[in-house]
Amino acid sequence: MTKRGKLEIIKDILRIIQKSNGLIKPTPLLRKSGISSASFKEYYTELLQKELIKEKTNPQGKYINLTEKGFRFIERYKTIISFIEEFDL
Amino acid sequence: MRHPIEFLFPPEIGAELIYSFVIVICSLMIYYATKEMYELSSYKGLKYFRLSFLFFALAYFFRYFIQFFLVFFNIQEIIDISPRIIFDTSMFIFLYSSSMAVFCLLYSVMWKKWNHSKQKMYLFNALAIIIALIGTLFRGMLVSLGLNVILLLFVSFILFTAYNENKKKRSKNSLLVIYFALFIFWILNVLSILLPKFLQLYQLAIYLISIFIFMVILYKVLKKTGN
Repeated sequence: MTKRGKLEIIKDILRIIQKSNGLIKPTPLLRKSGISSASFKEYYTELLQKELIKEKTNPQGKYINLTEKGFRFIERYKTIISFIEEFDL
Repeated sequence: MRHPIEFLFPPEIGAELIYSFVIVICSLMIYYATKEMYELSSYKGLKYFRLSFLFFALAYFFRYFIQFFLVFFNIQEIIDISPRIIFDTSMFIFLYSSSMAVFCLLYSVMWKKWNHSKQKMYLFNALAIIIALIGTLFRGMLVSLGLNVILLLFVSFILFTAYNENKKKRSKNSLLVIYFALFIFWILNVLSILLPKFLQLYQLAIYLISIFIFMVILYKVLKKTGN
């Protein structure tokens, strides 16, 4: 199995959130993302900062949702990767 | 006798202006076509790829446009400024921006192999300033020619190394050929300004091939981004 690139890990995390319909908490997300907790923390902070995800708190706890930008990232992921490969970036 | 319109726009200036205009438009189109992809991914390679074309746009804007505007709108009547200062400033900005454009393009391809080192960009900035200073101060001198040849050899060496590593990937090779052509024509463009008599005969060919290279890159970008 090849090592996943940064963009691929981001796409995988966003896909997990998308599939959960905004009903996933940080701990199950960490488990499903398949990366170490230290890496997850970094990615999680970055995704929040870049506004690809947002947190929603209700009486049951903290849930994670995708933002418009997050949905757009998933939509455009293949194009971005294909562009990077085409121009050898 | 020259037609009055030819005094305002001599044919050679017209060709330069059209050439610069096409390159500026192509470069800006590449820059804006990749805007969303960069905003979504914040990918370093994309950042420098886009920056490269922004520098190309800036360089070609300062190549003729700024001088044209200053003459056309008769700025000297409003501000008392020597044409020599205007020419030297725009020459400096052209040489700095075009050097940075090439360095950014090189960095966008090589950043992973250079272990994400940011120091290289500081070095490239310093090099671009030196190139611009030498080009502006010793215009038409052999030192400028020598410097550009050294730079071409440096860029060629890096690209040749990358070309050898990617021998199995044909699509990447075709792109490296385009990049290599772009670098050669960048050198010819700089030389055609620094040593106008040296390349006068080939000026039109240089313009046409440069436009063709930019068009090919723009086409590839638009095709890939789906714009």
